[in-house]
Amino acid sequence: MFVQKSMTRKVITVGPDSRVLEAHDLLQRHHIRHLPVVDSDNILVGIITDRDLRSALPGGLYGKTPASVDTGPYADLTVREIMTPKPVTISPTNTIEDALLLIQRIQVGAFPVVDEAGRLQGILSVRDLLRAFIAVLGIEEPGTLLGILVEEKLGQMKKIVDAITEENISFGSILVARHWEPNMRAVFPYLLTNNVSRVKKKLTALGFRLLDPMEWYMDRIPKVD
Amino acid sequence: MNRTGLLYDERYLRHQTGPYHPEVPQRLTAIYFGIQKAGLLPKLTLLSARRAERHWVEMVHERTYIERLEAACRSGAVAFDSPDNQMCAETFETALLAVGGVLEAVERVMSGELDNAFCAVRPPGHHAERSKAMGFCYFNNVAIAARFIQQKGWAERVAIVDIDVHHGNGTQHIFEQDASVFYYSIHQHPSFAFPGTGRDFEIGYEVGQGYTKNTTVLPGMGDDVYGQAMERDLLPAMELFRPEALLVSTGFDAHVDDEMSDISLTSDGYAHVMRQIMGIAARWCGGKVVSVLEGGYNIERLPELARDHVSILLDV
Ligand SMILES: [Zn+2]
Repeated sequence: MFVQKSMTRKVITVGPDSRVLEAHDLLQRHHIRHLPVVDSDNILVGIITDRDLRSALPGGLYGKTPASVDTGPYADLTVREIMTPKPVTISPTNTIEDALLLIQRIQVGAFPVVDEAGRLQGILSVRDLLRAFIAVLGIEEPGTLLGILVEEKLGQMKKIVDAITEENISFGSILVARHWEPNMRAVFPYLLTNNVSRVKKKLTALGFRLLDPMEWYMDRIPKVD
Repeated sequence: MNRTGLLYDERYLRHQTGPYHPEVPQRLTAIYFGIQKAGLLPKLTLLSARRAERHWVEMVHERTYIERLEAACRSGAVAFDSPDNQMCAETFETALLAVGGVLEAVERVMSGELDNAFCAVRPPGHHAERSKAMGFCYFNNVAIAARFIQQKGWAERVAIVDIDVHHGNGTQHIFEQDASVFYYSIHQHPSFAFPGTGRDFEIGYEVGQGYTKNTTVLPGMGDDVYGQAMERDLLPAMELFRPEALLVSTGFDAHVDDEMSDISLTSDGYAHVMRQIMGIAARWCGGKVVSVLEGGYNIERLPELARDHVSILLDV
């Protein structure tokens, strides 16, 4: 699960000496929120976000087509003056897990992806991460999720996987989560089938407890009035 | 009493799904015997299967898909597109007979010969995509019926109400960019049930935006939630859409005793839902409605569910 696989490769960029209004125009036209700033060797020198532009430009200019309004003193403002220099980057050989943990720690919407020489290779946005996570969960393929309560001891997972495999059912994914009962784990196999009633019976016969779907992931069911 | 048609044919039992599969021929015999035992057969007009002409199937499915299914069937394949879709040498023919039978029922109803009809067919259809078999379904019977109604000029605006406990992904995808067919489905929330589509934010695309509606029901919920949801979500949508013809994808797998779902609809709950649908048909479509079987796997419960369903269609 490398960043390289999930990042957006075709990146719109801008030079540090470009006008801010030009950057503004690029963001608007391409419906994007992050604009890496690169020099003539494609070395990353900064990043400009829609938020930077919102605070740099007066309300009468932000979100407008430059030609349609009087740009006044803002016409000469350069990217270098308002960009965030040396933004936090990530490498193409970092993993998606790295990116998830990092994005949780530092509040940004996207990472420029740079190689060892500092050259821009792509951009990895929250949107790209979500897409990767959806792929991991397998939830865009038709299937059925089961919730199984499992004692934390050796060999339990094997029993579950064997029971399901014997039914000739393919796995979309398996999630394992903590459970609020001590020494218990909740296992969530996402099965690529509509045909789960038999395997459910089989798992119950093996001594596993199937979790009530309303208890999945939750410590307590939210009370609805 | 209404003039109600019942489509049932022993040739629908020929599609065999092998051992350990819930979509079995006994589902249909249970339904038929339930109706028979209740003494309803003399009140019904019995319709039998007929083979659908290929060009009607092609109104919905890609020609290459139809050919692929036929070839798989000929070659003796035991499953098609997924291990879920178990098949036998008779599957292709049976699927064509299901489509054709439904079209026959539609024709009788739309021409005024009958008021309504229930089609006890196999294989089911609502998961079948344009070019993919899924969830025990090969041809999308109801989707083809909707196109048939439009092509024959009986109606422009067709509503499909899908009460199977699973989302009818195939039907939704076939019509999601089409404003002339309204697709409504009420089903177990897709995070807890096959196939994982039918989220409440799926409302159609482009000109079809607003012509797809999904009600998601959480596990454990039943009669009250269904009754309220239909009134809240379906009835107002129909007021706006004003359907001229109504098709129902009838799945009995939301029943509390059906192991295919965690929804707790009772037999009475099913009857109530069907009466709500009859109300829509009466208000907008001159009472014309064709109900087509989808899922429903509890052999013990199917007789009473079918009996009630048909009694409501008959209005007895
Ligand atoms: Zn179903």
